[in-house]
Amino acid sequence: MPILIQLEEAFEKHYPKPEFQEKLNMLLQDYAGRPTPLYNAKNFSKLIGCKVYLKREDLVCGGSHKLNNALGQALLTKEMGKTRMITETAAGQHGLATAMAGNVCGLETEVFMGVKDIKRQASNVKRIKLLGAKVTPVDIGMGVLKDAVSDTLRKWTACSTTTHYLMGSTVGPHPYPEIVASFQSVIGKEIKEQILKKEGKLPDTIVACGSGGSNALGAFRPFINKKDVRLIFVEGGGESLEADNSAAAFKIGKPGVLHGSIMQVLQDENGQIKPSRTRAAGLNYPGRGPEISNLVNSGRAKAVFAFDNLVFEAAKVMCRTEGLIPALETAHAIAYMINNKEEFDKSEVVILNYSGRGDKDLESIMRYFNES
Amino acid sequence: MSLEEKFKELQIKREGAHMPHVYYGDPHEEFSLTLLETLVKNGADILEFGIPFSDPTADGPTFQRVCDRALKNGITPSKCIEGIKKLRLKGIKNPIVVTTYYNIPYAMGVDNFLDRIKKAGAQAIIVPNVPVEEADVLLTEGKKSQIQPIFQIAPTTTEDRLKKITDIASGFLYVIGVEGVTGVRESLGDSTLKLVKRVRRHTDMPLLAGFGISTRQQAAAVITAGADGAIAGSVYARIYEKNLNKPEEALPKVASLVAEIKQGCKEGYIKQN
Repeated sequence: MPILIQLEEAFEKHYPKPEFQEKLNMLLQDYAGRPTPLYNAKNFSKLIGCKVYLKREDLVCGGSHKLNNALGQALLTKEMGKTRMITETAAGQHGLATAMAGNVCGLETEVFMGVKDIKRQASNVKRIKLLGAKVTPVDIGMGVLKDAVSDTLRKWTACSTTTHYLMGSTVGPHPYPEIVASFQSVIGKEIKEQILKKEGKLPDTIVACGSGGSNALGAFRPFINKKDVRLIFVEGGGESLEADNSAAAFKIGKPGVLHGSIMQVLQDENGQIKPSRTRAAGLNYPGRGPEISNLVNSGRAKAVFAFDNLVFEAAKVMCRTEGLIPALETAHAIAYMINNKEEFDKSEVVILNYSGRGDKDLESIMRYFNES
Repeated sequence: MSLEEKFKELQIKREGAHMPHVYYGDPHEEFSLTLLETLVKNGADILEFGIPFSDPTADGPTFQRVCDRALKNGITPSKCIEGIKKLRLKGIKNPIVVTTYYNIPYAMGVDNFLDRIKKAGAQAIIVPNVPVEEADVLLTEGKKSQIQPIFQIAPTTTEDRLKKITDIASGFLYVIGVEGVTGVRESLGDSTLKLVKRVRRHTDMPLLAGFGISTRQQAAAVITAGADGAIAGSVYARIYEKNLNKPEEALPKVASLVAEIKQGCKEGYIKQN
């Protein structure tokens, strides 16, 4: 707890400072490659029957939106005078971003990863190791994301005076959800500027995938008070909504307490947290961060899901229409649009937060299509 | 017997308290009941009765395995509450402190949960993932159900928070001597002894020190430093989990260890005064 108070104070002190903002913006621009384009995807638009823009977070160095937050927190780590960062990762994107940000800022990094995820995200594990970060396998529980988070929290309690826990999503104890959402909201700020330039108006709808909620909140944040902008959050449906086969916490979970916050979470009738299941490792956190939980439960955002098989098909559709290989996580948002065209009016301007590229999923995607 | 009565009794007997920690239902209920009985018969003063949780973030590898096994073998919070009742029916009078993570009472309704453990025979509750800043519900409902929420203090706890905690705490304070999670450690660092001394300056409330305590010497040392008792948990699980098919065969070993640690608690008390 004292460490969280210290973190909150450091964030409140440094984040608003012009010097901090300048350092962060320089890194975001020159290292990460921001601003990312807002791409008018004409072929995909034709397929859906409305105007779709892709917010190209796949073009952020490293291949996903994760670096936005990692750079911010790495700078914060420096400001707090700490020398190490630890984190956990599922798809490996956040682990990779942490290793990158650590190197840029001269910080040692250690990444905890469930054994199951190490296997299915082998290419990212190689990248992380090549960058010099230590990858520590987590084999407790199910060997997936929630177990890696639990273990990183445990490790952190033993080294928090020298080490910062770089939380990768808008989850965990306060102030993490706020910090991550703030650093990711660069996505939404850019969207706003870009769409006003291109369309002269705000978008009608923003669609984003998620579990903890970092890319979605990053895109949604500047529009939360603009009630006319529809916000659609797509979670992992898994194989089916049957127990133990899904990651759709808004459909089959309920409010609970995990990793330091109250949020929508997959659990059994006794309050034991249930593992979530989806082919997209990055959507596999059993909880929805407190802010995204609140947006959905208050009706401001709509939570939907996409099943695994439709997600693979959607990835293919994106490849064939726009020549882009999406991450399986991102493919959830794509799948939802493809399978719910009637929800999108012809005159609508929709922004799909294209959160990551699919290189890491290449093998899974190829295997899926070879087998089926 | 209330915690206050127990501490008073120990003061008169001039002994430090020993509170062993057991997660109920590992590997099965029947064993847990005999284990708890064995502990009481051989030196335990207070029982820390753990209700297993799927994601025990304050626990080390031993208790993670314990929770995992207990849950796989079908333990539920309701069965645990029944277990407390069974201990009382066996005639065990020692105070029982329930330990669990917040989602368990939250899922049942905190008021309902506290009422049920009170009726079953518990006196207090430890919820390691609820800091004092978030403890309003636990405190209000605890008052209604007459279940005392026990708070934990770590080496990283600042003076400000220490004051906040001592202001609202009751029963005893759980002093976590090390930075980290539960589990057996070879040596007890200075940090534990220093922290006990630091907390002692703030309050006269009973202090029980835990995390990393597994021997008679360690128990004696924390009490000499000013604690009123010592907590040990993982070390007992490590004894019986060596043979999970016949865990009861480990009971004599458990019995002699609990007696030894209790002996350490007595020795520590004598040195302290």
